[in-house]
Amino acid sequence: MNQTPSTNLRGRGAIVGVGRTAMGNLQGSTALGLGLEALRLAIEDAGISKDEIDGILTHPGTTSREGANHYLRFSEAAGIDPRYAASKSMGGSTAGALVQEAIMAIDAGLATTVACVFGDAARTGGQKFNSPSGDPGLSWGIWGMFGPQANSAMGARRHMAQYGTTSEQLGAVSVTFREHAQNNPDAVMYGKTITLEDHQKSRMVVEPFHLLDCCLISDGGVAIIVTSAERAKDLKHPPVLVAGMGQGYTARKNEREDWWYLPHQKNVLESAFAMAGVGPEDIDVAQFYDNFTFSVLLWLEHGGFCQPGESGPFVAEGNLKMGSRLPSNTHGGSLSDAYMQGWTHIVEGVRQVRGEAGDRQVPGAETCLTTGRGMALNTANALVLTR
Amino acid sequence: MSAYEKLLPDTLDGSKPFWDACRRHELTIQECLECGHRRWPIGPACTHCLSTDFSWVGVAGTGEVWSWITYHQAFNSAWAADVPYNVALIRMDEGHTMISNIVGVTPDEIRIGQRVEVLFEDVTDEASVPKFRPVKP
Ligand SMILES: [Zn+2]
Repeated sequence: MNQTPSTNLRGRGAIVGVGRTAMGNLQGSTALGLGLEALRLAIEDAGISKDEIDGILTHPGTTSREGANHYLRFSEAAGIDPRYAASKSMGGSTAGALVQEAIMAIDAGLATTVACVFGDAARTGGQKFNSPSGDPGLSWGIWGMFGPQANSAMGARRHMAQYGTTSEQLGAVSVTFREHAQNNPDAVMYGKTITLEDHQKSRMVVEPFHLLDCCLISDGGVAIIVTSAERAKDLKHPPVLVAGMGQGYTARKNEREDWWYLPHQKNVLESAFAMAGVGPEDIDVAQFYDNFTFSVLLWLEHGGFCQPGESGPFVAEGNLKMGSRLPSNTHGGSLSDAYMQGWTHIVEGVRQVRGEAGDRQVPGAETCLTTGRGMALNTANALVLTR
Repeated sequence: MSAYEKLLPDTLDGSKPFWDACRRHELTIQECLECGHRRWPIGPACTHCLSTDFSWVGVAGTGEVWSWITYHQAFNSAWAADVPYNVALIRMDEGHTMISNIVGVTPDEIRIGQRVEVLFEDVTDEASVPKFRPVKP
């Protein structure tokens, strides 16, 4: 079902404050506490007062205990009685979906300034990411399918068979993002370089994925403050406008033989590009959701950065490195910065577009693409950030 | 024989007839009585027309390996003795896909496109789990 993408919201919403806590192994931290700390940092970054926040959108962490009611407990703990609030659980696509919801709520007049928040103590909270795949009604754990690697590994194997993609090409993603983390003192893997040989020698987890194809498990919190482009003009930082956005879902896992290829991601990027009035050639820097190395390859194909099947050679040629055609995951991504379910990707996008990314700044970056994807690969969204 | 510690099917959400058929070593699927669509996974309504009228029909139990992965680490202790083991995505001849295991082969003998057929493992006195093996040429 093709629809003409809307351009109504192009540039109407702005990100005006971002906060990220320390990340990694944070003994004694809690999901709620980390979210609140991130909120404080984002408020400070925006240069606003807490009283100006009238919308709260949250993503419950894997160790949050409130479930679907998380937005209420978070708001209570933050001392805010919002005019607009909700929680969403879409895994790695929640961050982008909440920013989009914030923009829609603000544009509709239901709120003026919305804080989108995530906190999780996955690392010290004993989150093993080992739950069964499939659904409660038909668990794939019956056949031994556990952990988030499985779905992506299934896609990677088929991509390898269909297009000749190799483990070394996946390794190029891992090594590139690790290099980028060396320019990010806040990254968990700062100071810890790896080579392609290290990738190849790292133990197999769920083949074809080696350990170094897999993201980190981290404690941390992120908050993102959204307001209208109009209001953003008067605030501390030059606003980062959300020029384009898209969402998409391939809910049907077993009734679509192309589920593994994530057809919704193509729709997501087409929608976001169309709303922003840009194409892949206009993207100066990208932050691709990278729970596993293979995820990046599909984003490249779906976004038209390369042809279907050609993402393996594309990454091995170095096209994602700093100073190349498409510098990507400049903070190190989920593979080497921290695993915050895609939240840090938006923070990094904002910093790149503001021009405040320091040693890892992509010179003259004006347009950044951020993507998120979650659950059984079947939720996804994208933002195009511009000045 | 030691107790079976792996996850067993639950028979909530209308799936009991499917698992009862597995026990008889028959692979079945829900077929819509209004439009004829066969849906998978098990659900209360047709995924084409939302009709709730359906019957359980037998399927051929044949298909091809669409993809597969090999676990080198047990994410669940009941599977520790099986490492390395495969989990496969099978495209059934009816058009839908199923998750299962391919038995009787080592991981390096599995190929995408390989023809496979269903068999049933009686894992407990009550439950039988559908698995697949390569079709002999
Ligand atoms: Zn029907």
